[in-house]
Order: sequence, then C-alpha cells, then structure tokens
Amino acid sequence: MGKVLEKKRLNEFLRKVSKGRELIAPVKRNTLRFELITDLNDICLEGRPLFPIKKFFSPAKQDLFKLNAADKKKPSDELKIKIKPRVIFGGRLCDFNGLLRLDKLFNSKEYQDDYYKAARENTLLLGINCIPAPSKFCFCESMGLERYYDLFFHDMGDKYYVEAGSPKGEALIMNLEDYDFVMPEIKTDKKLDRKDIAQFYDNPAWDKENDKCLSCGKCTAHCTTCLCFDVFDEMETDIKRGKRFKEWDSCQFLNFTLVAGGGVFRKERLPRFKHRIYHKLQYFREKFGFDMCTGCGRCIEACPRLIDFTDVINKFR
Amino acid sequence: MLFSTEPYKITGKEKLTPDTYLFRLEKTVKNRKDSKKISYEPGQFYQVSVAGFGEAPISVCSYSDEFLEFNVRAVGDVTNEIVKLEPRDTLWLRGPYGTHYPMKEMIGKSLVIVGGGTGVAPLRGVIKYIEKHRADYDRVHLFIGFRSPEAIIFKKDIDLWNRIFDLHFTVDKADSGYKGKVGLVTQVCEESGLDCNNKAAIVCGPPAMIKFTVIVLEKMGFSHSQIYVSHERRMKCGVGMCGHCMISGIYVCKDGPVFRYDQIEKLHE
Repeated sequence: MGKVLEKKRLNEFLRKVSKGRELIAPVKRNTLRFELITDLNDICLEGRPLFPIKKFFSPAKQDLFKLNAADKKKPSDELKIKIKPRVIFGGRLCDFNGLLRLDKLFNSKEYQDDYYKAARENTLLLGINCIPAPSKFCFCESMGLERYYDLFFHDMGDKYYVEAGSPKGEALIMNLEDYDFVMPEIKTDKKLDRKDIAQFYDNPAWDKENDKCLSCGKCTAHCTTCLCFDVFDEMETDIKRGKRFKEWDSCQFLNFTLVAGGGVFRKERLPRFKHRIYHKLQYFREKFGFDMCTGCGRCIEACPRLIDFTDVINKFR
Repeated sequence: MLFSTEPYKITGKEKLTPDTYLFRLEKTVKNRKDSKKISYEPGQFYQVSVAGFGEAPISVCSYSDEFLEFNVRAVGDVTNEIVKLEPRDTLWLRGPYGTHYPMKEMIGKSLVIVGGGTGVAPLRGVIKYIEKHRADYDRVHLFIGFRSPEAIIFKKDIDLWNRIFDLHFTVDKADSGYKGKVGLVTQVCEESGLDCNNKAAIVCGPPAMIKFTVIVLEKMGFSHSQIYVSHERRMKCGVGMCGHCMISGIYVCKDGPVFRYDQIEKLHE
C-alpha cells in the first residue's frame, strides 16, 4: 500500500527531501528539460522532457584523469569525483529504466565508470506516472518497463498517490498518510509491434526511412540509453599539463568507425541506421535479456525528419 | 580510475620502412621497481598513448618474458607522435585487451599462417610463440605479402623464418629489377596446393585481404571453424563500453580481436 500527499504540500515535501541534496527536475525553457532546481516554482511536470537524464550520470564531456607529462613519478593523476547527494524529481519510467540498461555497460562487475557509479549511488529517483501518456511519440507500453524507482507519484487531481520502490524511498514517505489505491499502468497510443527483427535485416523498408536521414546524430543524443563515447586528450598551452576526457559520440556519424589510414567500416548511412536499431532491439537483448530501448520516443521527436523506426518494424510481416 | 594508463620505458627503436618503426619496451612500469611484469598472449593488443595526443589500439608483435614490442606505422594522430619518440622516452600503456590466438588448442596441428602488410605484426607474435614451442606443432606454412618491396617489415625475422618454416613470400607489385616473387598473397596461397588435413589457419591483414584469403582457404577445403582471423576496428575503451568497435553486437575489443571465423561469418557490418 502507498501513501497520499496533497498537492499543496508537494513543495514542502520536496524541500524536505532535497535537504542536503541537489534537486533535479523538469523545467520549461525553450523546450522541457531536466535542470538543477533553485526555485521550486520552476518545476514543470507537463509533458516528457525532450532531453533524458543521462547527462547527470555521464556528462557530455567527462574528465577521466589529469595528465602531467613532466612529472616522472606521477605522470597521470586521479581527478577527485565529487558528486553531491541529489534527488531527481519528475523522471519518467522510461528515464529510470534507461539507467538499468546503462548499468550493464558502466557499472558492470568487470568495469566501472567511477563517475557513473558515484552518480548512481548518490541519486534518489522520484518518478511520476505518465497518465495520460505525455507525448504522442511515447510507445513504452510495448517495451515491458520495470517499475523501477525510489518513489513514484501518481497525479490524482488535488493530491498525489505515492508509492515506494525501495527502502530508501519508503523512509522518505514514512510520515505520510496511508492510502489504498492501485496505480494504473501506462497506456500509449503509439505501439511497437514486437517481433524478431533479425529476419528483416535486408528488408528494403529500412532504405526508405533511411533516405530521410541527415546523419545529424540527434536521435542518439536524445536517446535515454545511447552513451557511446570517444576519448580525447586536451593539453594546456605548455603542452605538459592537461587531461584525458571522454565525450559523447554517435554511431550515426560517418567517422564513428574510422580507423587510422582512412578506412571507414560503415560508410553508408543505411548500415549506420540499422546498426542503431538492431543494437537497441536485438544485440543488446541477446546479451542482457532486455531491449536497449525504453520506448520514450525521444529519437523520433528529436529527429528533424521525424524518422520513425517503429513504423518500419510495425509494417514487417 | 577508469582507463588509467602506466608509463613504460622504450629500450629500442628500429626503422623498418620510411614510416614504420619497431619499438621495444620494458615489461615493468617505469620508475617503479615493485611493479609486476606485464604478460600478454599473441594476438592481444594494448591501448598505447602519448600524453596530449590520445590513445591508439596496437597489437603486440613479440612474445618474450623480457620485453614487449609494437610495430608502429605512422598513419594516424597518435602513431605519428609515437614514431617521434626515442629510446629512454616513455610510452603509456593499458592492457592487454582482447582475445588471443588459441595456441594451446592448435597443438599437434600443422599451421597455415597468412599475413598481409601491417597485419603481419600481430602474426609475428604468433610466430615467435611457435619458435619457442616448436615441438608442439607439426609443419608451419607461412604466407606473407606486402604491397611493395619498400613496405616490407621484419626483414631479419623473415630471413630466419625462411630457414626454419615453409615460407612463401611475395609482394603485390614491384619494378622489373625486383628478384623475389610478385603476386597477391592469396594467389600464392592458392597455388601452394596445401590441403586442410589436421591444419588450422591464422589470417591477419586488411579487410579485403582477409575476405579473399578465407575464400581461398575454403577452396583448399578448410571449414570456417579451422580459420582464425584478427579484426581491426576503431577502439576507444578496449573494454566493451564505448561502442565504436561493435559489429552486430560483438565487441571486437572484448569478444575479439581474434575470432574463429565461423563465429563471425554472419555478422552485418
């Protein structure tokens, strides 16, 4: 059983939860995006932010370590990772399920991205139920999302029904009043017809949709689970001191598979487009048992040509 | 620390062609006496870097308890910087990464080793391994090709291999003055008349060369499970995180770079 929180007490609740923590929530700018909140009145829960929460776990540009070429004993030096405890409010199930996917890559048993790991450990996830679906591009109903969150809010008009998904979450709502309610499942108009797409790899329907592609990489930048990256060095003008950092990259770019000498393995846009979709819906599933797509529809909404891979797949027979 | 890298001292540098050098490195971290010797298997690679210029994945081309060697051709941002270094300078390494040629599984077999161009470098590690474990293998047939006489690397090694193995050496193109064999390595391989009985094939070279070598090996009767290839891809992390080297869900850096051919024959680029 969950709890109930009156809407007029929401800010008071958020103030309490974010005491000693940074608060991150959707804010309406030119577009809706997650931002660090300084004024609770900025929070906007209308709609699904076009930018996902991944940047709070793996920033677009993330320093790895310091370089000091002149220091013979310690030419590379650790950078202290400082992540303040924080709370994300107003995330959606697609956002939080995205983190479960990224955990497989950035916080596996074998290798951990220290920044990602620290961010995950220090972040409370307070989600909001998507009734009705916040965007016409949403198709998460087809993606079998897990109820993964610390707290989950359901809008009931003048109050929120609040459910805990972890002991940490439970502790936050201990003092709220009990409330008996069954949280409704998210329904989306748009659907992805689930099928084994391996047999359709050479289907010409991919070409038609791909013809619109501009190779701009917006689909991957906005994707909840896309976090391919490149690694660079950057030096100061003395070319002795500097840093090594990683930066988001996109498999949709021509030079993503460029090797020394000029060879490019995916020269055409078509194999790049298919690589993205097959990675999401087939390769990742083969490895980890679930899709690398959470049905947020951001890749479709962000695309300047509204390329829609669900259309292509839904038509396969 | 993610992708932390350690400095290693360069102890030797040998010019092999106008743009290719053989670097020899100590196996222990520079200025750190307590550091353990690194160990690697033939076919594995390191992320090699020069501070300020970035990293490049480079295969080990040696097999020794005392040192490790890299064949560096100046074709990219990092390699152009590496070739400027001299003995006593430092190279940064992290690794070794990836799979290696299954030398133990091939014990008792005859080996057909086909290398093209810079792809001969990882194979040199394999051949050095065989030199050390010669009694474990039956006959060793080497097919080595370069695009021109000027591009030949490892001349000294090749002279030695000619004495102790069945070496077939060729260049793609040469002036009329060139005395050696001229022709594609795949052709030479096909003309050898070898069969596939109790053999394993090891192939490394440019993508097109690998593709046609496999076709030739098929004609000789080899099944794809008898063929091992090493793939080249852009690799930024080496641990299956960054996504660059992925082909059809397989990470070349982690699941490869050495593959048994039947495991990758159906991949989509």
